[in-house]
Amino acid sequence: MDQNNSLPPYAQGLASPQGAMTPGIPIFSPMMPYGTGLTPQPIQNTNSLSILEEQQRQQQQQQQQQQQQQQQQQQQQQQQQQQQAVAAAAVQQSASQQATQGTAGQAPQLFHSQTLTTAPLPGTTPLYPSPMTPMTPITPATPASESSGIVPQLQNIVSTVNLGCKLDLKTIALRARNAEYNPKRFAAVIMRIREPRTTALIFSSGKMVCTGAKSEEQSRLAARKYARVVQKLGFPAKFLDFKIQNMVGSCDVKFPIRLEGLVLTHQQFSSYEPELFPGLIYRMIKPRIVLLIFVSGKVVLTGAKVRAEIYEAFENIYPILKGFRKTT
Amino acid sequence: MPGRGRCPDCGSTELVEDSHYSQSQLVCSDCGCVVTEGVLTTTFSDEGNLREVTYSRSTGENEQVSRSQQRGLRRVRDLCRVLQLPPTFEDTAVAYYQQAYRHSGIRAARLQKKEVLVGCCVLITCRQHNWPLTMGAICTLLYADLDVFSSTYMQIVKLLGLDVPSLCLAELVKTYCSSFKLFQASPSVPAKYVEDKEKMLSRTLQLVELANETWLVTGRHPLPVITAATFLAWQSLQPADRLSCSLARFCKLANVDLPYPASSRLQELLAVLLRMAEQLAWLRVLRLDKRSVVKHIGDLLQHRQSLVRSAFRDGTAEVETREKEPPGWGQGQGEGEVGNNSLGLPQGKRPASPALLLPPCMLKSPKRICPAPPVSTVTGDENISDSEIEQYLRTPQEVRDFQRAQAARQAATSVPNPP
Repeated sequence: MDQNNSLPPYAQGLASPQGAMTPGIPIFSPMMPYGTGLTPQPIQNTNSLSILEEQQRQQQQQQQQQQQQQQQQQQQQQQQQQQQAVAAAAVQQSASQQATQGTAGQAPQLFHSQTLTTAPLPGTTPLYPSPMTPMTPITPATPASESSGIVPQLQNIVSTVNLGCKLDLKTIALRARNAEYNPKRFAAVIMRIREPRTTALIFSSGKMVCTGAKSEEQSRLAARKYARVVQKLGFPAKFLDFKIQNMVGSCDVKFPIRLEGLVLTHQQFSSYEPELFPGLIYRMIKPRIVLLIFVSGKVVLTGAKVRAEIYEAFENIYPILKGFRKTT
Repeated sequence: MPGRGRCPDCGSTELVEDSHYSQSQLVCSDCGCVVTEGVLTTTFSDEGNLREVTYSRSTGENEQVSRSQQRGLRRVRDLCRVLQLPPTFEDTAVAYYQQAYRHSGIRAARLQKKEVLVGCCVLITCRQHNWPLTMGAICTLLYADLDVFSSTYMQIVKLLGLDVPSLCLAELVKTYCSSFKLFQASPSVPAKYVEDKEKMLSRTLQLVELANETWLVTGRHPLPVITAATFLAWQSLQPADRLSCSLARFCKLANVDLPYPASSRLQELLAVLLRMAEQLAWLRVLRLDKRSVVKHIGDLLQHRQSLVRSAFRDGTAEVETREKEPPGWGQGQGEGEVGNNSLGLPQGKRPASPALLLPPCMLKSPKRICPAPPVSTVTGDENISDSEIEQYLRTPQEVRDFQRAQAARQAATSVPNPP
């Protein structure tokens, strides 16, 4: 038995290559009942897939029963070894509880000797599609979990940095060409540089917000340039705690989407009020990203702290959106 | 009282503990002599338990309904009565208001927000019972801004974790159409404009369904579509007399506000109907335009399922293949003739090749072509040249000029106006 490395390839900072080990949605994983609220599930309508699901469910139930029998035995052995009656009683209690509970997700898997490849470990959300037949290694590029081939483009990065010293905003506004300062309107200097094209809000406490960059590296470079400008103006500016606070990406799935249908099936994540806003607001829980989905197929993803979250969120939503294509 | 000592004056043992206002005293009940008295003042630490607690930290909030909450609940009931909602709605809306009030964020909100919250609770109740109440209607009744209403609404849905169904389009059509004052002759409505309610309702419903199917409703405010559909339905029931009436005049006659997007929805709906008319042989020869197609709306609606299927091909698959085709092909509707030729079919005999069934925003050509962003090779740790930074700093001369200009401006604004 071997679960693969739980980090999807693109979490390591690389773009997900096509056809590679794609962590799609656990479409065939009956461990995640529809609508648990973690990873969104696409709605499958084809008969062949549901039959496969049934088969898998039966197999997994059998495995669960086997596992629980093992665990009961294991726990009885543990009991004999322990000398404290209290601990033994506790284990006995938990063993009897687990015997009555039907879900393997709550039973601790003490020995993995007979755990089959199809059973995901408890506590890890199954990011990979379970294989269609048991005892086969997880195959990449099963038809339903293909990579979409579309990569969201980053449009905006918001980052903050601490310059580490108090600043006199009036001096900065006086001696810098690219600064504007209107204390009655906003209590910060708004500074802009041309390369990378960004805007910074510089506060008198020495904290700075940098917006408008199109990549993490550009944001960092821009923040350093602002810090250098402030340094040259005579302040002992440092570059402390640079942190990316928000990343916004967008992409186009190139087909129209029935938003009313999407809100019906995924209503616990979606909010669609055409009287207020033409797009559907989808709040994905894992990863914690907010997606704005429009009828033209354009998708805006925001709320990410790392690039991988945007890619992961899009890979999660793409099969769901594809599912709504056929209903036109 | 025995065991408490004796009165020094008369020697009796009848000592009573009594307090003179806030001062505790031990008094002889026989002669009235004060034997001992307590301390008039208390120390700071003693007063720990006696100090006043602010209302928000006491339990008074939970025990009684605050005045603003009472006012809010009264407003909820009044709003339900004004809207003539069934009595069960009132209780549900009141329950939601009370539930919302338990959250501190709502308790401490401004009065404007609490007022809008009244509308939100009523709206949620109506939505859950499929009662077609629009946000615009509530905002008008409450004299509230739609922005304030929308932010409060989104907040309260999230806070209470409610599942609010979408606005029911069919119900909205029925309610909205019934509000048109065209079903009885009156001084402002001539006889030829009066229409039977049932006929108009059914035709409007069919038109709205057609609009929904052809992507004219998704993502848009529902009301303008219904206005356009009502207008078309009304016109088509007696086209001879009514074709001369414009949409604006129609709404004025019917005593209904004309929503701004209704005219563009009307054009879109007419375009769809024209496309459908192309599929019927006897209509194709008539070479209909946007005005004459109105006369045939009845026929078109009767066969709308098959007409839509033949007039439009699935836009979802088509958009992808369109990308791979040579750039010589035009957009959307222009493909009609070219498509026929490539398929080797004679042009005159077949109806126009199906147009793409896509939302109007996808059919329009993009305003500007967004170039693919250049792949940047920035690492974030490059050296920053001094010259680059110098360009953002003012020279001393510039600083002096700027200061002089500022001073001059200050002087100009501070000089009082001569009498």
